Amino acid sequence: MKPPAFAYRAPESLQEALSLLADHGDEAKVLAGGQSLIPLLSLRLARPTVLVDLARIPGMASISESDGWLVMGSMVREGHAERAPLVGRLAPLLSAALPFIGHPAIRSRGTVGGSLAHADPAAELPAVALATDAQLVATSAARGKRTLPAADFFRGFFETALETDEILTEIRLPPLSEGTGVCFQEVARRHGDFAMVGLAASVRLANGTIADAHLALTGVAPQPIRASEAELALIGASPTKAVFEEAGQLATRGLTPPSDLHGSSGYRTVVAQVLVRRALRVAALKAGADYEELDSGRGDLR
Amino acid sequence: MSDSKSGVFPVAGRFTGSPVRRSEDPRLLTGRGMYVDDIRLPGMLHAAFVRSPMAHAVVLRVDTKAARSAPGVRAVFDGQEMAQLAKAGGGPLGDMGGEGVESPIFTVLATDRVRMMGDPVALVVADSRYLAEDACELIQVEYQELPAVTSAEQALDPRSTPIFANLGSNVLQGPTTERFGDVEAVFASADRVVTASLTQHRHQNVPMEGRGIVASFDPATGELRVNASTQGVHGVREALAAQLDIPLEKVHVRAGDIGGSFGLKFGVSREEVAVAAASLKLGLPVRWIEDRNENLTVSGQAREESFEVEAAITKDGDILGLKVKMVIDAGAYPGVAPMLVGTIRQMIPGPYRMEALSFTATVAITNKASYVAYRGPWASETWVRERLIDLISAELGRDPMQIRLRNVAVRGEPPLRMVTGPSLAGITAQESLQRAAALIDLDSFRERQELARQEGRYLGVGFGTFIEPAPGPRDPDETPSEEEMEQLRMRLELDGTVTVFTSQMPHGQSHQTTLAQVAADHFGIPFSQVKVVVGDTDMVPMGFGTGGSRSATMAGGATLHAARALRAKVLEVAAQLIDTGPETLNIIGGMVAAEKASTRSITLVEVAAAAAAGDRLPPGIDRELEVNFAFDGGAGGWSGGTHCAVVEVDVETGLVRVERYLVVEDCGEMINPAIVEGQVRGGVAQGIGAVLLERSAYGEDGQFLSGSLMDYLLPTATDVPQIEIEHLETVRLDADVNFRGVGEGGMIVAPPTLGNAIADALAPFGVRITEQHLPPARLLELIGTMDA
Amino acid sequence: MSLSAKGLSTDEIFQVELTVNGERREGAVEARKTLADFLREDLALTGTHLGCEHGVCGACTVLVDGEPARSCLMLAVQARGSAVLTIEGLAQKGELSSLQQSMWDNHSFQCGFCTPGFLMQITALLEQSPNPTEGEVREALSGNICRCTGYQSIVKGVMAAIASSNPKDVS
Repeated sequence: MKPPAFAYRAPESLQEALSLLADHGDEAKVLAGGQSLIPLLSLRLARPTVLVDLARIPGMASISESDGWLVMGSMVREGHAERAPLVGRLAPLLSAALPFIGHPAIRSRGTVGGSLAHADPAAELPAVALATDAQLVATSAARGKRTLPAADFFRGFFETALETDEILTEIRLPPLSEGTGVCFQEVARRHGDFAMVGLAASVRLANGTIADAHLALTGVAPQPIRASEAELALIGASPTKAVFEEAGQLATRGLTPPSDLHGSSGYRTVVAQVLVRRALRVAALKAGADYEELDSGRGDLR
Repeated sequence: MSDSKSGVFPVAGRFTGSPVRRSEDPRLLTGRGMYVDDIRLPGMLHAAFVRSPMAHAVVLRVDTKAARSAPGVRAVFDGQEMAQLAKAGGGPLGDMGGEGVESPIFTVLATDRVRMMGDPVALVVADSRYLAEDACELIQVEYQELPAVTSAEQALDPRSTPIFANLGSNVLQGPTTERFGDVEAVFASADRVVTASLTQHRHQNVPMEGRGIVASFDPATGELRVNASTQGVHGVREALAAQLDIPLEKVHVRAGDIGGSFGLKFGVSREEVAVAAASLKLGLPVRWIEDRNENLTVSGQAREESFEVEAAITKDGDILGLKVKMVIDAGAYPGVAPMLVGTIRQMIPGPYRMEALSFTATVAITNKASYVAYRGPWASETWVRERLIDLISAELGRDPMQIRLRNVAVRGEPPLRMVTGPSLAGITAQESLQRAAALIDLDSFRERQELARQEGRYLGVGFGTFIEPAPGPRDPDETPSEEEMEQLRMRLELDGTVTVFTSQMPHGQSHQTTLAQVAADHFGIPFSQVKVVVGDTDMVPMGFGTGGSRSATMAGGATLHAARALRAKVLEVAAQLIDTGPETLNIIGGMVAAEKASTRSITLVEVAAAAAAGDRLPPGIDRELEVNFAFDGGAGGWSGGTHCAVVEVDVETGLVRVERYLVVEDCGEMINPAIVEGQVRGGVAQGIGAVLLERSAYGEDGQFLSGSLMDYLLPTATDVPQIEIEHLETVRLDADVNFRGVGEGGMIVAPPTLGNAIADALAPFGVRITEQHLPPARLLELIGTMDA
Repeated sequence: MSLSAKGLSTDEIFQVELTVNGERREGAVEARKTLADFLREDLALTGTHLGCEHGVCGACTVLVDGEPARSCLMLAVQARGSAVLTIEGLAQKGELSSLQQSMWDNHSFQCGFCTPGFLMQITALLEQSPNPTEGEVREALSGNICRCTGYQSIVKGVMAAIASSNPKDVS
């Protein structure tokens, strides 16, 4: 289980990296944290001709605030983000999701941008990007920078809107509106495994009713998806168990989740419904919903 | 509740019975262990295999031309070339075994046929593993796919394509039936007959270190030196000599630290033979280290058995007898499955008083990995029996604990034997059941369970009880064979230390510690003055190695007796030197001293020197301060116990949390309680894995689906709970040796214990559990919230 | 565009200089060589074990610039200029570290193959969070697989090491 041979460069400027990509097209592969790519190399499931390592380019791992937005370089390590107070303050949903990524030794190498660009349908960060309406900045030598809304970024099974000559250079998460509660939950076979189903949820309450809700699911489609129908139905509703139950049904309507060894399509559907209900409940409580009202009727499990 | 520092036994000596720190640890904790992958020899080459991507196919053509000229490649062997160099043997545990079983014919590397995914087709030897893998990709193999036989059911269909041409069918053995007691009369007298179809899924050993070998043939001397990751060096030596057709005395096998095995690493695999053959051909050292994908796909798998059971019972819950039909899916190549039929049959009554048993067994060959031994290889008997008892209890509306206590054999009361024959002397099943029920406080648990259910939370409690032949009862009329005896050599060195040479091949069991504890106490020197030598065919006595939970009794007992014999010899010599009678002398702390202070004392160094020189000793005295001892196991005896699990099932996601796990066990006198408890907990963790996580999965076409650790899921620190252990007081059967084995019990009884707990949790849903593997999706199917 | 036209080659050899266990070390490797293989093969530091080579078992965990990393999921070229700590660097001057001592005292391990990865992961955990709860320890170690012990003895060893390093903490 050893990687095949490849050429390797670790450019010290973004320009140099972009020009390598421009020269080699889809023969080249960007190496960010390597936590997904290197196992694929070792299993000889990926065979790039050239690896372009971004780790030696200065300035790609910064975390900052700009007009209330969280701005991260794509080479920010997941472990770094997890411990960064700024992330906790500006992007609680991202903070909530980070500990679910693999294990500490994975997060200390894995990068935020690498996870997004890899676009594993079960990964956590793509769902966070979707649920928060993040903006993703792609840069190429030929066309410079372009900003993509997360909704346009994830295109399919391990597929993104990035062109072969582009590098995801920056991720921007918008500020959270007042009165918003968030929750990230997943169901995995074991702690740290890729989830069978994951859910990034946020709920904004105004005057006791739901003013806005964002739900992004992993593991139920070839790419992470927003449960738009459920979100629409939630707006204006009261945060009750019945409403959340209904949202779960709507979230999975028309979906045929993939099946694998760990969870069948039917299982993922059922669990997605459960997660929507549970995560909405937690998010609503964090947004200030009343326990009594929320849990009226039969007791909730979680 | 015991912890390792508060064992209930009186301390037998200074060391035996104490949680002495392991002498293995200083090297292992500092990264200075020596595993097979750590061996570096000058000029060493690296091997990799080309493997079949199909479960069943005819090999039409193997083109190795491009690989032979690839960078760094030293040699390539296809199946035909390898067949010239080595004979295929019987696989992990010798021949497929069993009387009247015809052996399948096959080669070390596939020549005409591949019979499982990952079947080795060609071997590349190169300057590095990287280059060897590169060259493997250049080898073109043309296959003609055959229908894959992927289940025992398919194999038993006479229309299935025979996997081995010379066998003519895919039924290796059976159906064979054995009867004990008057089965028909017992069933005729029953109030009712409870039936169940119970299955145990395929899962596997997955030691953290896979298989591996470094073989180094010296053409000048004709000697083959091998370092192996094995449970027994002599078995490797004998198999290699036979399969490579070289004289036994020219083969030397050593083993260093072994990264776990759990039954996998006995004898030599086809890959290891091929690597040794390559070294023989090239005259250079060749190393093969199995990678994880190879380990999961081809090293071997275990446990795939299905059962049809009928139980004759009375209306009060007395179990009168069983009719059992078992089918084993033995996989593709020779493994241990046929050998297990007899053990499963013998053990299925467990510690229960039943009067009759009919047992029918069939062994099927399929296009899956070979059936290997895995920790308690016969464990399906406990799974079937303990699950069945809970099913019977459910049918009768009785508490399973009551049914167990009602049926369990009581020490000293009839019957004194299992219906299948073995003596039940010394069993403590009743005690362990009663103690477990008391510790768990069953009545208050039932109250808590009821309250939780009202809140929509589903708790369950499950019990399982077992006995394990570790080593098993000794029939006083039977003389053990030479192979069944445990040989051990012990000598006093010139520096006054003692060396123990054992055929045990520890791979986590800590024999370098435990045998030194026993030797130190019974010879009379400090623990630190005893060295235990393992893993070298030039040095250690003959023996099959470590497995079957034999070591505590067999090697522990051999050490005890050898230490006493050596002590007697030393005292004899010392008595001459200080002119007194040996009966007045004692060895304490490395000194030989008289019990009365009137005589002078003498050091062991002086004794050893005098014995070596001989001039101060009268003729006729035995100056050889070394003993060879063969131990027959003494009175033998059972290990056993009762486990209890408390679980909570999230009925919306199917996730199971093990809230509490309790073990009440009896392994006789403990040599080192911390090591005993480590063995028990490790086994329980594997049992939890089997039920909740682990499955060797195949697609309908025979494709292996769990070839990575992302697919084959091992339990982690967040899956395994605290495991509480209580040790029962020892029933002494032997005057001297009452240590009994403890390696397998945890793994044997944890699966039914957990299955019973999950079934109890889900009782309100009317769930009937008849399979061992219960992943979350399956639980939702059983509960009925999701379509199957 | 062909590789060679851009001065690239798949068999190019890279000089790797780094600090391992406080000592300056160097080697020459192909880009594809993993850090684990570099440590084991080129630097003869065989204490770092390979249990799966696809980043699941944790046996190969080392510290890279103080943070835990799976050395099978890093290329040696990525570690150029880094400070790497391996199991061989835990004991100082032949003295076991307090963590190693505690694991010995508590019979934490059996076959020893996963041991280096656990010790490195625990070292990293205690650097970042000197006083974790048992639950946090279990969670932090859930990416390291031990097939022998059932983990209890490992967790016990860690908790004892924590207790011995906080003698004033009576809680």
